[in-house]
Amino acid sequence: MFCYQCEQTDRSHATPGCASAKGNCGKDATTADLQDLLIHAVKGIAQYNALARGLGKPEREADRFILYAMFTTLTNVNFNAARFVGMLREAAQHRDRVKKAYETLAFAQGVVVREPAGPARWQAGANVAELQAQARLVGVDAGLETVGADIVGLRALVLYGLKGVCAYAHHARVLGYESEEVYAGVEATLEFLAHEPAQADALLEHALALGSLNLKVMELLDAANTGRFGNQQPTAVRMTPVAGKAILVSGHDLGDLEALLEATRESGVQIYTHGEMLPAHAYPKLKAYPHLAGNYGGAWQDQQADFANFPGPVLMTSNCLIEPLPQYRQRVFTTGPVGWPGVRHLEHGAFAPLVQAALALPGFRETGPEETITVGFARHTVLGVADKVIDAVKAGQIRHFFLIGGCDGAAPGRNYYTEFAEAAPDDTVVMTLGCNKYRFNRHAFGDIGGIPRLLDLGQCNDSYSAIRIAVALAEAFECGVNDLPLSLVISWFEQKAAAVLLTLLALGIRNIRLGPTLPAFLTPGVLQILVDQFGIQPIGDAQADLAAALARKAA
Amino acid sequence: MSHRIEITTRDGQAFEFACEPEQDVLAAAAAAQITLPSQCRRGSCGACHASVAEGGYVLGAHSADALPQGDPQAVLLCCTTPRSDLRIVAPYDGTKVLLQPVAVRRARIAALETIADDTRRLELQFEPDDAYGSAAEFEAGQFVELELPERGVRRPFSLANTSNWDGRLELLIRLRADGVFSSYLREHARVGDALTVHGPQGGFGLFTESLRPRWFVAGGTGLAPVLSMLRRMAEYQEMNDARLFFGVNRESELFMVDELERLQAELAQLHVEFCVRDGSEPGDAGTAWRGFRGTPVDALQAALAAADASPDLYVCGPPGMVSAVQAVAAAAGVPAAQFASERFAV
Repeated sequence: MFCYQCEQTDRSHATPGCASAKGNCGKDATTADLQDLLIHAVKGIAQYNALARGLGKPEREADRFILYAMFTTLTNVNFNAARFVGMLREAAQHRDRVKKAYETLAFAQGVVVREPAGPARWQAGANVAELQAQARLVGVDAGLETVGADIVGLRALVLYGLKGVCAYAHHARVLGYESEEVYAGVEATLEFLAHEPAQADALLEHALALGSLNLKVMELLDAANTGRFGNQQPTAVRMTPVAGKAILVSGHDLGDLEALLEATRESGVQIYTHGEMLPAHAYPKLKAYPHLAGNYGGAWQDQQADFANFPGPVLMTSNCLIEPLPQYRQRVFTTGPVGWPGVRHLEHGAFAPLVQAALALPGFRETGPEETITVGFARHTVLGVADKVIDAVKAGQIRHFFLIGGCDGAAPGRNYYTEFAEAAPDDTVVMTLGCNKYRFNRHAFGDIGGIPRLLDLGQCNDSYSAIRIAVALAEAFECGVNDLPLSLVISWFEQKAAAVLLTLLALGIRNIRLGPTLPAFLTPGVLQILVDQFGIQPIGDAQADLAAALARKAA
Repeated sequence: MSHRIEITTRDGQAFEFACEPEQDVLAAAAAAQITLPSQCRRGSCGACHASVAEGGYVLGAHSADALPQGDPQAVLLCCTTPRSDLRIVAPYDGTKVLLQPVAVRRARIAALETIADDTRRLELQFEPDDAYGSAAEFEAGQFVELELPERGVRRPFSLANTSNWDGRLELLIRLRADGVFSSYLREHARVGDALTVHGPQGGFGLFTESLRPRWFVAGGTGLAPVLSMLRRMAEYQEMNDARLFFGVNRESELFMVDELERLQAELAQLHVEFCVRDGSEPGDAGTAWRGFRGTPVDALQAALAAADASPDLYVCGPPGMVSAVQAVAAAAGVPAAQFASERFAV
């Protein structure tokens, strides 16, 4: 295996990357190799579906499979090698079906039938050993000797950004929101990668185009979340348990949460959110369920202790899963793109075993003393009081805004974000999103004339809200986003964050602080380009960075 | 000589355990059934960082990024080996440290039946309790110790069913001529009797991540954990090729034949070979056994000779059989890492 897609990748050798029998995330070499091959296979589907699209008839089932398959290869999503063997067979079937449909269509329209080269011609190996042999030729570092590390790194930037785009688009699609433009963009990018691009300029241009595409995807996902569940509202969320039987739901998929809330209606079982599910409490349609009881635990990297201590079953709906410990392995369930070998997988909202488990397990014996935090400051909430915010800025009550958000993780360097947020002066507002918020969301920030100093915008999936808020503020002050008294302090872990980062760059946003470490796939050469063009900076000392941000006022 | 390790968490809880001179602190804690937070376990991710307050140690190869800055005593427990007793300060609360003591629960006999000569199928029903509710959670392949109340007798038996939410345990027990537990089952046990259950315990189980064929070798009631694994494969619809070599001495000792046939219907890829060592019943020479005559070790040896690739091997039975399988597997080139076994306690 060779994998360097996440922040936690092995950096203990001269060349960063996980390259032994098992990655730092727990993904074994077989799974990693099969994931590489699945991406190769998906490029082949995209090549043919792009041709079909050119003739006016793309295959929607193939579009959907591409999103799903890409999502399974994100960090901490699916570790089950057997599932990848199955998906490779499915990929071959999709490609064959799209190819046949395209050829029939081309013949009917009297145009020349094209036969794309490369991944489109892949034939699945007959057994696992053959699949692994194929995988070794199409790894993420393929062609390193001929094209060099910078090109391989730029291809990785495009591929990883695309994985994030596909994950977000899949989130929207399972809620019933799809876009032909998004499918076309995703498949055009896969087709681009299928041609093994070796020009740095073209790669960078595609990376930024992908950032623009992701903005549309985030908009679509925002429409999906708000369309299905209403606009987020400021909501106090209980952070302590109530006595009774309990199920914990983690990951990002609000549709799965809704299905579970329906399945447990009147069962006496309380539902708790974990990690990135926290913002669910702010949606009117979801918080209307009286048994959506509260939030439990911390960010994803705390799950082994959180899940072991939780007295009921756990449902993992999307990233981020880490190795289920024996203490709770029998009572963790996966759904959607998620998987772990030996862990029970439930599909299509068939959550009966989960309810059965909840009724059998002890549940919480006692109700804890009530503690709450307030969430629900997505764009509708914040822009609903835009006048008040703008007045506070004009009156000098709000000196600066920080967006401190992104993924959390285990690295000790992530304490930076806690230190930064807690040290932000009283006349500044901290906006946050993603699970990075667990580093500081129990801190008492107070308010500025009724405006809370900590505004929780939602999941990483809600990045669109942050962008809309920033753009609205810029419009109000008749300036560019870079001229606002706004600093972005981003923490990244995996490929959704890579997609959002590309979106911010595509929007021309400069001087982003990125940490806790910079992506290993950004070679010094590529990083220099990003520094030169966008002023990206690694995080440093929290106090010094904070002082610098306040001194700069505008970027 | 081992060193004493004391870890104090942020909220002041202390955990103590012994660590061998060449063992890392994380592994030593695990050996003492103390699970400390960790992820990559090789000095790269930083999840197990802590600080040594007192004592000498060696910090092995690791990534500099994984250590917090500014603490000269910062270590990663996964690559810290002690040179003396150590006092360590952990940056997390005690709730992050997972302890897994062996569960002790009460269960009642729900069913007891004779399934072959001197072989009983025992079904237990857990009584609901505060700590575990009414669930029976275990990995396929694990065992429990059954204790007769007031007699202080504890005997280990593998579980034959799979983890479930009904609180059921199924065990297959070969009665011994002179065993205390055997005589209890033979003469006194009744449906409704209470027993104490210690467990689940043990690490025998499937290599869940493996895509290789799974071959199982069971001698007598060594079928129990194997049955659990096969049932789990059926429940999870796992696609690995599967073969079972199930051996007894005499045809009359075979059991669970119907259940294995039912499993074959659910797991189409499962091939079952019944092996009977003595092919005919004493005094019944006319109805000779028509299946494989010999031990499951013989059957395995022949199958391995014809196999394209090494399967994973799961073996449970009397110690002599397990050793014989190990020798046959080694001779056929099956890597040791693909071999899992459980021996009957004798």
